[in-house]
Amino acid sequence: MLATYIQTLVSGLAIGGVYALIALSFSITFTTTKTMNFAQGEFISFGAFIGVAALLLLSGLAGGLTAIPGEAAAGWRYPAAALIATVVAGVMGVLIFLLAVRPFAGKRGMNWVMSTIGFGVILQSIGLTIWGPAPVMVPSPLGDGVLRIAGAGVRPQELIVLASAIAIMVIFDFVMRRTRIGKAMMAVAHSPQTASLMGINVNTVMIGAFALSSGLAGLAGVLIAPIASASLFMGLGFALKAFSGAIIGGLTNPRGCIYGGFILGVLESSVGLWQAQWKEIVVFSLIILVLAFRPQGLFGHASIDKV
Amino acid sequence: MRHLIGVVALVAILAFAASFIQNEFYLRTLFMICVYYLCAAGMNVLLGYAGQKSLGQAGLFAAGAYTVALLTTLYGLGPWTSLLVACVVSGVFGVLIAVPSLRVKGPSLAMVTLAFGIVVEKLVAEGSDIFGGAMGIYAIQPLTFAGVPFTTLQWVWFGLALCLATHVLLRNLLVGRFGRAFLSLQADEIAAGAVGVPVYRYKVLAFVIAAVTCGLAGALVAQQNQYINSDFINFNLSIFILLLVLFGGSGSLYGPLLGSVSLVIIGALLARWTWLEHFVNGALLLFALFAMPKGLAGLLGSLGARFNPGRSSAATKVVSDLQPKLPTRNAEGGAATTLLTADNLNKAFGGVVPAKDVSLRLTRGHIHALIGPNGAGKSTLINMLTGVIRADRGAIKLLDDDITQRKVHDICARGVARTFQNLRLFQDLSVRANVLLGQHSRMKNGFFSSLFGLPLAKREEARALMKVNAILQFTELLQHADTSAGSLAYGLQRRVELARALASEPQLLLLDEPAAGLNPQETAELGQLLVRIRNEGITILLIEHHMDLVMAISDHVVVLDYGQKIAEGAPEKVQSDPRVMEAYLGTTVEAA
Repeated sequence: MLATYIQTLVSGLAIGGVYALIALSFSITFTTTKTMNFAQGEFISFGAFIGVAALLLLSGLAGGLTAIPGEAAAGWRYPAAALIATVVAGVMGVLIFLLAVRPFAGKRGMNWVMSTIGFGVILQSIGLTIWGPAPVMVPSPLGDGVLRIAGAGVRPQELIVLASAIAIMVIFDFVMRRTRIGKAMMAVAHSPQTASLMGINVNTVMIGAFALSSGLAGLAGVLIAPIASASLFMGLGFALKAFSGAIIGGLTNPRGCIYGGFILGVLESSVGLWQAQWKEIVVFSLIILVLAFRPQGLFGHASIDKV
Repeated sequence: MRHLIGVVALVAILAFAASFIQNEFYLRTLFMICVYYLCAAGMNVLLGYAGQKSLGQAGLFAAGAYTVALLTTLYGLGPWTSLLVACVVSGVFGVLIAVPSLRVKGPSLAMVTLAFGIVVEKLVAEGSDIFGGAMGIYAIQPLTFAGVPFTTLQWVWFGLALCLATHVLLRNLLVGRFGRAFLSLQADEIAAGAVGVPVYRYKVLAFVIAAVTCGLAGALVAQQNQYINSDFINFNLSIFILLLVLFGGSGSLYGPLLGSVSLVIIGALLARWTWLEHFVNGALLLFALFAMPKGLAGLLGSLGARFNPGRSSAATKVVSDLQPKLPTRNAEGGAATTLLTADNLNKAFGGVVPAKDVSLRLTRGHIHALIGPNGAGKSTLINMLTGVIRADRGAIKLLDDDITQRKVHDICARGVARTFQNLRLFQDLSVRANVLLGQHSRMKNGFFSSLFGLPLAKREEARALMKVNAILQFTELLQHADTSAGSLAYGLQRRVELARALASEPQLLLLDEPAAGLNPQETAELGQLLVRIRNEGITILLIEHHMDLVMAISDHVVVLDYGQKIAEGAPEKVQSDPRVMEAYLGTTVEAA
């Protein structure tokens, strides 16, 4: 029994780590530009498939496989593929910012919501023509065996996901709080006008925020692919749950988003222990409850509209 | 009336023409245009008028479709009854999806509606015990006429009739009181509340309208196909419904029609290549957002204006040369009685205390001025009096009525109107529409009389228009009546906001720095205008920094500093109060 709980906890933390990364990616653009990418789901899916393509390319295998052999992900290839996916997704993020977000940001009507969605629809149909609708099994770099920890079966990929997620978030937190770049981002988050008066290039910071945010989404896709198998339709669900995590933690509070992501992951896997098909319903009901009682999230501060 | 005859004739011609079509595919395409028109017409109210982004309309489509499916197959309910029930059920779902909108705004709300759509999609896909999953539900009973199921042609006729009814009803609703109220939500919710629009109620209403039309569309599709499965319900459907409105022209009465006709035809042409269809929809969405923000309707409108100039600019005639009189409500109690009392109001934002035991007594028919250094808590006081901010402690009474806990729009309806320190006009609306919105709480036509265009609604609209013209004349804004408020000069915008506040026929008018940004000439004119308003029997409380204005027109001055009342009384008396000098000049004034 204990073993089952440990197993649930580990897989919950692992998936929670992915949610936390994506939640953080929402928070980064929301705080700096007051917008976010509603096509983040497609960026996650694209990240996974670019990772797959990179694995195939690096190991010299042909494309069009529905299951990637284990050796393709061995050694340095998986980290290299993750890096490539992150960079490519980051470049796509710059594109979406310049094409779909910046023309509408800061204007009334929130048209950037619809334009990023339109961008996502286009991305998805492009993805479908390249890779097709079928899911692809992706191997973990540490193999698909099961580790025994105190009797609990843990997949090595879950540990990789958890470790990388934590490492990235610690680095991010350090950068945000201790470096000039981080301080510039926080300044832009508080007030773009004032930040630009202080000599900060607001435009560059915003482009950087979108690149970083999309890069994180792409990385999340590569990390999750060996657990969930890569599919062009997987992204939306992850993005929505991660956003829910962000709402739980408070969208404007990066640390809160991280906690929110983990809370959601553990909660989801505990619900799965009880009734697997109820997962989504329970998770989204929770969000509505949080919104009803604490719209600013558990760790966020209420913002006051000055009249 | 001309409009009604026109659209009935158009639909009759279409119905007649349809009866010559033999090709089943063309008939079906026509029927789908009708179905998507229904979705788009409701969505236009929600997105184009109320300005709420809903990304989960597929969920409401499903609510209608699965209601008729389950009712006719499992419970053996008749097809017509099921169709009605489906509308009700989707309306209830509309309320559900609207509930989060009361607490969250902006992108979070969009994401919540998206999540709603996804949950429904998952529910019908996974819950195969009830909803049949991807296998779907067969043998849904179609609508019947005299016991015989509809032919495809009859479906088209029925669809056309529904579209006609939807168009006429929504038009009745949108051209009057309700349409303006929806537009005010989109422009500025705080200002909408302050002019007397019950913000939450109208938001829910907009969601319900969109839900019912969308559910109706879903039910029609299920009954016409006699089959529904989970593949119908997906995110792309939600996006398509959004696209119908954006591409056709959001906020335009004919946008949904243009959108559904053009997009369904494009869709039918591309039907062979499914992936291309989605690609094109995404591209059209981006194209509409970039190149035609007002959609096809806006494009055609501007073309029409080019070939037919001068048609839309109907010159406003001066109503009368008599000295205009403000419409006012009957005053209860005589002059010089206490109109409003505030007792020991307290408010704290963390460590900042903008109100500490502030008490206030406003006399009917007087001009009261509220002065004090920046940060003294003047705006907070007005916000508390109008319900925008709730006081931590204390009581506010308007005559004998305790309004401490009342909502913003309710306080407005009871006769307290206000303007804002940083102008909150409905910028895209005309000056007249802005002032008409002020009349919102004074109009008596409810939802149904507006929807059906009953005489009451027409009468109320005409009466409001008359009163608004009088107010525009009183404030000398008549020549700007058809200009959009945002394009006026700053001083005029201030006056429009004042006119809008006057339109709620207030007993008490609260003005938050009405002279801010005005030049000396305009300030003097404002002073005269305020005196004229007072002479009409309206009590005024104004916050102002222009001391010459304050001293010239006020009957009574209240001075705040650090959230506390430090002096009050006649202007001369306050002027010589040493505590006031200290607050303003920062040093103790030695007795000279």
